[in-house]
Amino acid sequence: MSAHSKSAPRGKKTSLGAKIFLAVVGLYLLVPFAVTFIYSLFVEWTDILPSGFTLRNYIELFSNATFWASIGRTLVLCLVSVVITIALLLLAMYVVVAINRKLGNVMQFVCMIPYALQGVILSIGIISLYTGTGTVLSNRMVMLFGAYTILVLPYIYQGIRNALNAIDAEMLIQAAEMLGCSRFRAYVQVVLPNIVSGILVSSLLAQSIVFGDFVLANNIAGTNYQNIQVFLQANMDKSSGLSSAIVVIIFLVVGAVTALVLKLQSSARKTEKE
Amino acid sequence: MSYIEFKNVVKRFGDNTVLDHIDFGIEQGDLVTLLGPSGCGKSTLLRCLSGLEQVSEGKIILNGRDITDVPASKRNIGMVFQQYSLFPNMTVEQNIAFGLKMKKVAPDVIEKKVADAIAMVELTGKERSYPANLSGGQQQRAALARSIVTEPDVLLLDEPLSAIDAKLRRALQSRIREIQQELGLTTIFVTHDQDEAMVMSDVIQLFHAGRIEQAGSPVQVYTNPVSEFAASFIGSYNLLTADEFRALTGDTVDDGHMVAIRPETIAVSAEPLVDDAAYVVEATVVRNVPRGNVLRYTLDASGVEFRVDTLFRSFHLFDDGDRVFVALPKHDCLRIPMEAVGARTAA
Repeated sequence: MSAHSKSAPRGKKTSLGAKIFLAVVGLYLLVPFAVTFIYSLFVEWTDILPSGFTLRNYIELFSNATFWASIGRTLVLCLVSVVITIALLLLAMYVVVAINRKLGNVMQFVCMIPYALQGVILSIGIISLYTGTGTVLSNRMVMLFGAYTILVLPYIYQGIRNALNAIDAEMLIQAAEMLGCSRFRAYVQVVLPNIVSGILVSSLLAQSIVFGDFVLANNIAGTNYQNIQVFLQANMDKSSGLSSAIVVIIFLVVGAVTALVLKLQSSARKTEKE
Repeated sequence: MSYIEFKNVVKRFGDNTVLDHIDFGIEQGDLVTLLGPSGCGKSTLLRCLSGLEQVSEGKIILNGRDITDVPASKRNIGMVFQQYSLFPNMTVEQNIAFGLKMKKVAPDVIEKKVADAIAMVELTGKERSYPANLSGGQQQRAALARSIVTEPDVLLLDEPLSAIDAKLRRALQSRIREIQQELGLTTIFVTHDQDEAMVMSDVIQLFHAGRIEQAGSPVQVYTNPVSEFAASFIGSYNLLTADEFRALTGDTVDDGHMVAIRPETIAVSAEPLVDDAAYVVEATVVRNVPRGNVLRYTLDASGVEFRVDTLFRSFHLFDDGDRVFVALPKHDCLRIPMEAVGARTAA
C-alpha cells in the first residue's frame, strides 16, 4: 500500500474524531441553556422530571413594557458604543497605516489598557472623575456610553488591526497613490471595503460583551437606564422561572444578532467570489 | 539633459545611508534595470522616484521638472509592485479603470482604454474576475495593465516577476519588453536576477552598497566588469588573485588587482593545445556538473581551482580525475581592482 493510500483513512479518522469532539463540546455548552429553557416552561422541577407545563413566564415577560424597554436600551447601548468605537478606531488606524506606522505600537498599548480594567474599577473611576464637573461628561448617560466605548475598544481594535494586516493596507494605499488617488481616499475606497468582514466580526464580539454586562450599567446608570442585565437582576428574586425565561431571551437575541452578522459576512464573501 | 535625472540623491534611514550620492540619467524610451543584491538600495531609489519615499538630499528631475517634493499621486508615474497589490474587492476591469477614474476620464473613454489594456496583456475573458481567482501570472499582467492604462511618464517595475515560476517568468519578461517597446514607455525595472537584467534591459545600472558600481549595456557590463563585485555578480567569472594567476599562467598582475575570466571563454581539450594568444596549461578535472545545455567543469591546475563551461556535447565529456589541456585567452583575462571586502565568485 502506498504512503498516499495509507494516509487517506487516517484523515477520515481525524475528521470523525474532530466531529465527536465538537459534538461533546457543543453538548456541554448547550446543556445549561437547554435546562434553563425547560425550567422556564414548567411550574416546578423538584423531581427528576419537571411538572406543570406553562408559557406563563413568557406571556408575562412579553406583556411587560419594562422588559421591552430594557432590551431596546441594551441594543441602543450596543449600537452606539460599537459605532463610536469603530469610527474612532478607523480614523486612528488611518494615521497608523497611511501616515506614521510607528504609532501602531502606541495604539496597541492604549487599546489594550481596558483589558486590565475591572468593571467595578472602571465604573467607579469614571463616576469619581466626572461627577460634579458640570460638563457634558458629568451626565450619567454620556458616562455610560463612554464606558462601553472603552470596554469594547480592545476587541474591535484587534479585529480591525488583524483585518488591515491581512490585506496589507499600507501597500494597497501606496498602489492607489501611484494611480493618482489621495491617501485618505485610498483608505476609504480601497482599504475599508476590504476590512468590512473583520469589522463585522469584531462588532459581533463587542455587542455580545455589552449585552452581557451588568456591572457598568448598574454602577453608572442603575435603574435610570435599566439594561437587560439590570432588569434580570431586578427580577431574580421575584421568580426563578421568570429569570430563566429572561436568560433564554437574552441568549436568543444574542444568537439572532450573531446569525445576522454571519449572514451578512457570508453574503459579502459570495458577492466577492462572483 | 536626460529624461530622468537623479542628482546626488542620498537616502538615509536613521544612521543608515541606503543611497549614497546617486547621480545618473535615463533617456526617454529606455528600459533601465537597477540590478543588485538584496539591500543594495535599488528598490529604495525606485520608491524615491515614485514619491513613496522622500530623498534625504539631492534632486530628481523628470522631463525637465523637479519632482523631488511632488506627492506620489501627482507625479504621473506608474508602478507595479512585487506583490502586485491589486485591490481585492475590485474586478480586473475595475482595478484597471481605477487610475482613469482618479483622473476623471470620461466613462466611455475609460471603457475603451480598459478593453484595450486588457487585450494588450492578454487577459480577455477575465474582466469580471476578482484578483483572488487569478493565477500569479494573470495578477501580474492585471497589475501591469493597471499601471500602463493611465499613460504614465515612467513605468516602475519593482521585482514584479520574483514570485512567478521560471517558465512563466521568461514568457512575461518577453511580453513586458514587447509592451514597453510598443508604447515607447520609459521603464525602470528592479531585479536581483542578472539573467533577467540581461534579457530585458537597454541599460543596466549595477548597484552595490547604495552606490552605482557600473553602468552600461548588458553586453558591456557582462564583458567588461569594472570591479571584483561586478565580476562576481554579473555572470560567474573566475576571480583569481595575483598569486593564483601567477601560479596558473606564470604571468604577473599589477598590485591591488586581480584577474577575472569568464568560464565559457576557456577552451578545454584532451589533446595538447597550441595557441599563442592564450595561456595553455594542463589541469585535472575535479568535478563536472551538467547545467542545462552547458557542462560545468571544475579544474585544478598548479593548486588553483577554476571553472570552465562547455556546451553539453556527448562526444567531449571528461570524467573526474581526467587530465585535460585548457587555453585561457589572454585578452579575456581582465585585470580588475580588488575590493577591500568582496565576495569571491559565486558558483
